[in-house]
Amino acid sequence: MSDQREENGLTGALDRAAHLLRDEPAPSAAWRDAVLRSAAADGARRWSVRPWVAIAACAACVLAGAALTYGVLRERGGAAAAATTAADGSVRPSPLPVRFAVEAPGAVHVSIVGDFNRWNPAGLPLHRMPDGRTWVVEVGLPPGRYAYAFVVDGRLARDPTAAESGADDFGVPNSVVLVGGS
Amino acid sequence: MLVRAVLAGDSAAFAMLVDRHAPACLRFASRMLGNREDAEDVTQEAFVRAHRALSRYDDQMRFRTWVMSILANRCRTALLHRHRRTSRVVIDGAAVEQAVGPENGDAELRDAIERALARLDPVQREAFVLKHVEMLSYDEMSAITGAGVSALKMRVQRACDRLQALLREDGYE
Repeated sequence: MSDQREENGLTGALDRAAHLLRDEPAPSAAWRDAVLRSAAADGARRWSVRPWVAIAACAACVLAGAALTYGVLRERGGAAAAATTAADGSVRPSPLPVRFAVEAPGAVHVSIVGDFNRWNPAGLPLHRMPDGRTWVVEVGLPPGRYAYAFVVDGRLARDPTAAESGADDFGVPNSVVLVGGS
Repeated sequence: MLVRAVLAGDSAAFAMLVDRHAPACLRFASRMLGNREDAEDVTQEAFVRAHRALSRYDDQMRFRTWVMSILANRCRTALLHRHRRTSRVVIDGAAVEQAVGPENGDAELRDAIERALARLDPVQREAFVLKHVEMLSYDEMSAITGAGVSALKMRVQRACDRLQALLREDGYE
């Protein structure tokens, strides 16, 4: 080991520069929470059910989705396409517009993280409304259940208006939105 | 052991793993990719992948080495799909000449070394950062990169030579 250091021993400016490169700002709380949330969401997707249960559930969802879509389309007289047909013939629900809004007077930056953007804190910024206190973004989401949270100036915040709250797997606040399905 | 605790369903143990290893991972990724935003993306991805693959973790290897090997792969992939974000390293000869000089302190030297790192071949940059920023042994570096120890020593040496030359061009001896 010391031999290795000898061989590649740094001197002068490069030695000082290498020391400077070892300084790095600590991870932000929002980033840490995003990592934990995305790992939990990924784990829940992958391991919470046995594979055959997941396959059966997927098949049931596809059938239910197809039946629901068919019913909706019939009800609407087929005027609007609420689903797309994939190349393999399966019916995929179209994204539905979902509007997220939060009151954060005085905030400088507000974004939203959730299952739909892999809890990426840089993902979806909200726009400040003319009243100066309300922040809004509209997202297209296929029907489903999504856990999410707002990031207000780097801090995660639960949506106070959400009908449902998710389990805080890592002590990270999150809310849940159900898209479609009724 | 924290990994066993995570596998047993203790989610707080995974948070402890993240707290313990994220700073070094973010530093490595930042040096490899040249900006913090991309580094946060790939490090997050690496931890999610590590969490997913935890049952396959071999505790003969240090957890840091294992997660770094995942991260190094993500960095290589990110470098292949570059230009999504603009690097904060700007190579502007005039500005450099005006601003950089040994008398201007650590901030300028740091800028100079970051510019120089960005100009290195990624394979050499990886070897240099693992050796002289993360201070890893060649055996650990070999486990992370999959390259042999001799090849890594060569890469580190070449990286040092090139970095020294680039720093010298900026007035640093």
